[in-house]
Amino acid sequence: MSAFPSAGISIATRSMAWLIICFLVLPITIVFAVSVTDRPYLSLPHDGLSLQYYRSLLTSRAWHTSILHSLVIAAASTAIAVVAGTLCAIGCWRLGNRASNAVRMLMLVPIIVPTVVYALGIYQFWVDLKLIDSYTGVIIAHAVTGLPYVVITVSTALAGFDPRLEQAALSLGASMGQTLRMVIIPNILPGVISGAIFAFIHSWDELIIVLFIAGRGVFTLPRRIWDGINESLDPTMAAVASVLVLTTVVLLLIDIAIRARRTQ
Amino acid sequence: MTSIDNSSALSRRSLLKGGAAVIAAPAVLTSPLALAQQRKEVVLVNFGGAAMKAFDEAYVQPFAAQGGRIVLDGSGALNGKILTMVQSGKVTWDICDAGITTLAELGPRNALEKIDYSIVDKAKVPAEFAYENGVVNYMFSSVLAWDTAKVKETPTLADFFDLKKYPGRRMMRKDSQAMLELCLIADGVPQDKLYPLDTKRAFAKIETIKKDVLYWNSGAESQSLMRDGECVMGLLWHTRANVLKGETQGRIAYTFKDGLLQPGLWVVPKGNPAGAEAFRAIASMQQPEGQVKLLAAMGNGPSNPAAQALVPPDLRAMNPADPANVAVQAKINAAWYIENHSKTFQAYLDFISS
Amino acid sequence: MLSRLAAIDPAPTIGADPSRSSLARRLRVGGSARYWLLMTPALALMIVFYVYPISRVLWISVTEPQPGLENFELLLTSASIHKMLLTTARISVLTTLITLVLAYVVAYALVHAGERARRWMFLGVIVPLWISVLVRAFAWFVLLRREGLINNILMTSGVVDSPLSLIWNETGVMIGMVHYMLPFGILPIYANMRDIDQRCIAAARGLGATRSEAFRKVFLPLSMPGVVGAGILVFMFSLGFFVTPAILGGGKTLMIAEYIKVQILEVVRWGVGTMLAATLVIVIGALLAVLSRFVDLRKLFGSI
Repeated sequence: MSAFPSAGISIATRSMAWLIICFLVLPITIVFAVSVTDRPYLSLPHDGLSLQYYRSLLTSRAWHTSILHSLVIAAASTAIAVVAGTLCAIGCWRLGNRASNAVRMLMLVPIIVPTVVYALGIYQFWVDLKLIDSYTGVIIAHAVTGLPYVVITVSTALAGFDPRLEQAALSLGASMGQTLRMVIIPNILPGVISGAIFAFIHSWDELIIVLFIAGRGVFTLPRRIWDGINESLDPTMAAVASVLVLTTVVLLLIDIAIRARRTQ
Repeated sequence: MTSIDNSSALSRRSLLKGGAAVIAAPAVLTSPLALAQQRKEVVLVNFGGAAMKAFDEAYVQPFAAQGGRIVLDGSGALNGKILTMVQSGKVTWDICDAGITTLAELGPRNALEKIDYSIVDKAKVPAEFAYENGVVNYMFSSVLAWDTAKVKETPTLADFFDLKKYPGRRMMRKDSQAMLELCLIADGVPQDKLYPLDTKRAFAKIETIKKDVLYWNSGAESQSLMRDGECVMGLLWHTRANVLKGETQGRIAYTFKDGLLQPGLWVVPKGNPAGAEAFRAIASMQQPEGQVKLLAAMGNGPSNPAAQALVPPDLRAMNPADPANVAVQAKINAAWYIENHSKTFQAYLDFISS
Repeated sequence: MLSRLAAIDPAPTIGADPSRSSLARRLRVGGSARYWLLMTPALALMIVFYVYPISRVLWISVTEPQPGLENFELLLTSASIHKMLLTTARISVLTTLITLVLAYVVAYALVHAGERARRWMFLGVIVPLWISVLVRAFAWFVLLRREGLINNILMTSGVVDSPLSLIWNETGVMIGMVHYMLPFGILPIYANMRDIDQRCIAAARGLGATRSEAFRKVFLPLSMPGVVGAGILVFMFSLGFFVTPAILGGGKTLMIAEYIKVQILEVVRWGVGTMLAATLVIVIGALLAVLSRFVDLRKLFGSI
């Protein structure tokens, strides 16, 4: 399916790319090592390996609760951001006038304004609306701040999409919904997916807003990691990261295996 | 526990929504005696982590035994959050675990309740740490710690600034509080003549070692920098120094000598929901037994002078409020900070980042 | 390329029959309203839950401590703010440039890789996103410090004689930030490159261009929208960063986001903190406006 023949790329470029990937992956090797440390704090193993932090991940209710809270919040806020963001990007793309430009600029604002300023604003707002320490409050805040990622990646994907395809579909009698579903979305799917990944990660790793608007009830993973920052960092967070990385790798391997079987 | 808290909060909320009539009806019907028995719950905000369990044993359970209710919230009462809450008029916190800076920034902005010393017993705290808008809850110190693998003899604060005698990186807090005092002591200012702080002189002292200083933000960071040998000497909280000493089997040592004794403070946000019940909770937390438990669990020094005698002998060396340790330390002056905190802190940040 | 040609005429006329063309016009009006409808959910979310609360906060910049532009005067007079702004600009620009170059190489390799290799590369791009900033900062500490893994390897292999200062300075900050930003640079550039019509390059080669000529004259210009988009994203992101600079800079690198945090949470000078935030919004808005004179931003964001 490769769009380009590999002939278009020199060995030097390719090795450089792999080197950069290695740079990206490098800290992960440390995270794996730290996750099996025998010390009570974030560190490389000292006298031996220990699986205690995987055990505490499996057995600790506190970590379970936090993972669950984070999953629910990240999934819900991503869903909102992806649907609203994708539709918005498509609308802007088709409209293509000054107004739609302004809309796109507006969507960028959450990544311009430092999060702590928004955190203060949404804190004031949620205090007024009594949404402090509620799922709804955190989900909305994360969805809104996740929107820019979706709008940007989808817009970028649309930049390379031939608008005549959409015209053709519409003139052949397809409804707006059908055109969206069957023509536009499949063509910009990579952009939508990378937007979704960013929006999900944004929520999954978001600390500053949560430190403001969550209290006793909502306890996301970043808050759990942050909790007790004045004592010592709990190596369980390295175990969490390792499990997530391993899950991603396993999913990829399964995917490759399925594809391989299908081609046989 | 959380679900119970939530449901009670919910019921309160729906009561409010129900309007005045609904609230008024039970108030008329219920006898004053029954109302008095229905004591309000007190929300106490700290910074989470190990303090949740320690506070529960030291403070929440004893208060419950007296018929009161404290609920812990570990989300951290930063100055900006308290102020927002107070300005919105919808305060949900009763007591915050805070410090001198909260007093300095929020006191003048009229965001804190005055401590009701008819309920909180002034005799159970050192006189200098009972302020109008806050009262000491525990004591901590900023102390000098060193790596005995590289610094063979017990150093003094002056040695901290002597790179020739002990080469290697130094560590300070990314906060002017206590750091400036320790600089001045190192420069020869007597402990009882520190205030008003000569900030220029303190900065000049840091300047002599500036390129070799790292600054820590969180307690965890200060530990990690010392533990992994990145710094040979550091100025940090005694609680963290004490944990380091244990973790490294004594490789990291520390001394209270020439340290700065500081109070952790209870403050009550203006318009707190539980009203005077908050002060009854604070009074209950003045009991020496709970404070000694907190010392054993987290190293926080008891604030009640009567507690010092109850401290087991093996814990005395790590107690910043122990008479022997108090004698060798300087004490922070809150009045100076109320006047000068914001500009001093900003000047410090500008100085270290230039 | 083909989409550019189509872009000249966004509304192809359908037939010459007057009745059909009026029908088409009506459809277009309806269509335009429908496109607004598509934007409504995002717009509503944004205005109610972002613009409104943030306006309330930014309003503070001209009302506290007294009404007026007093806080904005600090931009001209405060040496502390000048220095911090300079640090922020320097680090953000460098981070963005380095990230874009590295991201371009990876994206280029990605579009040219076989199915299998591409999957593995993607894995390498996505997987770091799972690791919290705090844990990453610690990993860099282990790798970069004086007795850290990297210096150990460099020393034992004899590449350097004395350990390099890779952390507790702007080098460390930059390593950490580029690492964080890379996926945000790679994915938009890749998404754009993927859609470049390979026949354009084939045509160029067919006309006798060398591989590097075909790249410079055809591929590179076609991939620019992705690069500019990624650049804007990464630059704005860098401006708002503070955990990584705070830790890896050894406490000595003070950037705007941390400065604002201190003003809002600690010294409670809300007027100053919100003034800086407002300034940031204005400056970036102006930058985008200037940029739009040289690059067609509408094209960049996929509009016609």
